[in-house]
Amino acid sequence: MIGGATYGRLLRASASRWRVAEGRRRSSRSVFDRSMKKKQKEWAGSGRDTRKYDYLRDEVGSRVADRVYDVARTFPLALEIGAGRGHVAQHLSRDAVERLFVTDISEAALNVGGEMRWHALAADEEFLPFRENSFDLVLSSMSLHWVNDLPGALRQIQAVLKPDGVFIGAMAGGETLYQLRCSLQLAETEREGGFSPRVSPYTAVADLGNLLGQAGFNMLTVDTDEVQVYYPGIMEVMMDLQGMGESNCAWNRRSVLHRDTILAAAAVYKGASPCHAPRRHLKQAKAAKRGSATVSFGDLSKINRNGDDE
Amino acid sequence: MSGSNVWHRSREKLRRFPEFFAQCAEEAAAYGKCVAATTVSKQELKKDHCAKEFAALKTCFSNAAKKNCK
Repeated sequence: MIGGATYGRLLRASASRWRVAEGRRRSSRSVFDRSMKKKQKEWAGSGRDTRKYDYLRDEVGSRVADRVYDVARTFPLALEIGAGRGHVAQHLSRDAVERLFVTDISEAALNVGGEMRWHALAADEEFLPFRENSFDLVLSSMSLHWVNDLPGALRQIQAVLKPDGVFIGAMAGGETLYQLRCSLQLAETEREGGFSPRVSPYTAVADLGNLLGQAGFNMLTVDTDEVQVYYPGIMEVMMDLQGMGESNCAWNRRSVLHRDTILAAAAVYKGASPCHAPRRHLKQAKAAKRGSATVSFGDLSKINRNGDDE
Repeated sequence: MSGSNVWHRSREKLRRFPEFFAQCAEEAAAYGKCVAATTVSKQELKKDHCAKEFAALKTCFSNAAKKNCK
């Protein structure tokens, strides 16, 4: 465990920044209900078979960890935000990272495996309680797509990093869950005469590059990874998303999904020819000068999984 | 998933959906085909456009569920 004095210093010194961040929140556009996201993660994290749903995060986490090793540095102090069970951290060793902090909005989810010694605290990705210029490395895997003020979160990450610090992250974006969205849209239209947003909005690859630049990062790498998971049907997709704590929490979501609509969507999903994912193009942003930050961008195109559940 | 709150209980209820749905592959395919047809033609998908196919699917599904609850 970290010495008490150091830990306290990291937190106390950021108090004034915390107040500023609060003010910013009230004025920024709020797409997601963050307290609902916390609840969803806590429900998901408290289920007895919760680790069954780690497959996606573990896969993406290992890809992010690969990028850490690619940088070929030893980072004295690292931070993983939205860490959950430390999906990146569990793949790291002490020759990559010497000391590690992990945060997540949900305390229930926070329980890191692997060989690292880590210090955990519950914190919202949008309100990092750390002093500026503290960390050599910040990691984020599969959590930034639920953040309201993404530019703000990226700026905070940039701020807590040392001048030669590195940010490596992956988030869902682009055409993620296209089949699910499409099936629900068609079913809801045919059954109910209209449709509402069921799948949350995602950031486009091009926008992410701009946001990183505006947040003060340079030497950017933004690319797209496709992760395909095969499922027997729409219900398995939705149950797994829920089990991962990835249910929709956008304020504009309808609270009801009629059983008839689910049944209809299941049938459309099976056939799914209008909902086959469109062709994707791998995008690569040009890197600039010396290494100050790199980001890898995970794009989940379809989720299908061979459900061999109990 | 098991647990004590309403979130866990509602997941339990939905857990058998795939099992019942699997017994209605034909009806599901017919409904899916009907809906898909509107996306390739100039026709706009309107409410109850495939009501007949859906009714058949729903009947099949309800029967499958009833049979299994005995």
